[in-house]
Amino acid sequence: MNKFLTMLKTELKLSFRGMDMIIFALCMPVVVAVILGVIYGNRAATPEAEYSFLEQSFGALSTIAICAGGVMGLPLLISDYRQKKILKRYKVTPTSPAFLLAVWVAIYAIYSLLSLLIVFGTLSLFFGCRFNGSFGGFLLTYILVMLSMFSIGLMVGGIAPDMKTASVIASILYFPMLIFSGATLPYEVMPSALQKAADILPLTQGIKMLKAASLGFPLESVWISIVIMFAFMIICGGIAVRFFKWE
Amino acid sequence: METTIQISGLSKSYAGNKVIENLSLSVAAGEVYGLLGANGAGKSTTIECILGTREADSGSVRILGFNPWEDRKQLFEQVGVQFQESNYPDKIKVRELCEETACLYRQPSSYGELLQRFDLADKREAFVSELSGGQKQKLFIVLALIPNPKVVFLDELTTGLDTKARREVWKSLQELKEQGLTIFLSSHFMDEVEILCDQIGILKDGGFVFEGTVQEAVELSPYERLEDAYLWFTGEEETGDE
Repeated sequence: MNKFLTMLKTELKLSFRGMDMIIFALCMPVVVAVILGVIYGNRAATPEAEYSFLEQSFGALSTIAICAGGVMGLPLLISDYRQKKILKRYKVTPTSPAFLLAVWVAIYAIYSLLSLLIVFGTLSLFFGCRFNGSFGGFLLTYILVMLSMFSIGLMVGGIAPDMKTASVIASILYFPMLIFSGATLPYEVMPSALQKAADILPLTQGIKMLKAASLGFPLESVWISIVIMFAFMIICGGIAVRFFKWE
Repeated sequence: METTIQISGLSKSYAGNKVIENLSLSVAAGEVYGLLGANGAGKSTTIECILGTREADSGSVRILGFNPWEDRKQLFEQVGVQFQESNYPDKIKVRELCEETACLYRQPSSYGELLQRFDLADKREAFVSELSGGQKQKLFIVLALIPNPKVVFLDELTTGLDTKARREVWKSLQELKEQGLTIFLSSHFMDEVEILCDQIGILKDGGFVFEGTVQEAVELSPYERLEDAYLWFTGEEETGDE
């Protein structure tokens, strides 16, 4: 455990020094939250809904950091370490790929949870949003979405042959998900054809779950999304560990 | 004497070109083995195949009785490695890199003492990227010694070091040798090979053209100095027209 914390502490410091995640995982969600807050104020989500549009968007906004860390940060970090032959050095130590992957997952989990707190703080303090669901349920759902998105990133980082490929794949995953899964542009304002296309993206399913959990809807209504999230987590995570390349 | 490193029939080719062919050698506990050869003779490939960072086509390797290709975790608890290139994350400090390395081992040496020994104590809080070439080289020797290893592999030991630093490194390695450390190094400096190595192997085109002690190498050749003997073995002694 000590080993884990030592690695985590240092890697987290390096990540802070890099600044990218501070911008994309911590600042950007707040900026989007403020923009939506200014546009929608405390307007109700639909004329008959008892929750506001912004409260409905909270679940979506909370995934911007997951998306940045999981699909952009993780694969780039791993492929960067491979390209710089840092992983090669780890190969001649007693450590295992699973341990290293766990450390990196923990870094981006910390960013995501921090972002979750900041976004919720912003929405509740400045825009009067309330949280109507169960905290425990929401947190579990959040962790599930996080792990499944992270496992996609681990897979990309684990098997991409070089930094360039990893960065192309990461961009292909990141930007469409950021815009079309509803994380930034609200799903509800998309035309229905776009909504159908968005449904293909795994993060869209994750956001549906988070919205249900944060608004206090029964999770049975999103069981398909839950199955999809678990499937991504198991398949991509498995591939990442099984096909991990040190060099 | 107890055999620490045992290699037999090691071969590796890239895209049909044989880089090393059918290499066998053994290093006894507490010995210093020097792998010599020109650039491109296959020194780094040999070391990497021994360690398992490259997959050998055939042959077998035992280090401390372990197969490095299968028993990574047990073996590398007791083995330190310094690769030819120094690899480290951006924006990491010397202390942080040492901490990250030390935490991976069950009983690491104190990196503070090692930094002191290699004259890097005042660089603890410096960024690794700001170190000079020689300081980086010394830092990576420190990292290889952090595991408190029984065996250490040093690829291109003192390349990039100035004269004073090279002597310091030699002195430290001799002290560690006296404490029983087995050292496998590659080098193309004959002076350090003469000072440090008990056994040497001279590689040419992926095979040994000489194996034995420094003294034997000199005696076998028509020359009196190791450097001349080395060039004689590798057939490079008359390359003045290059």
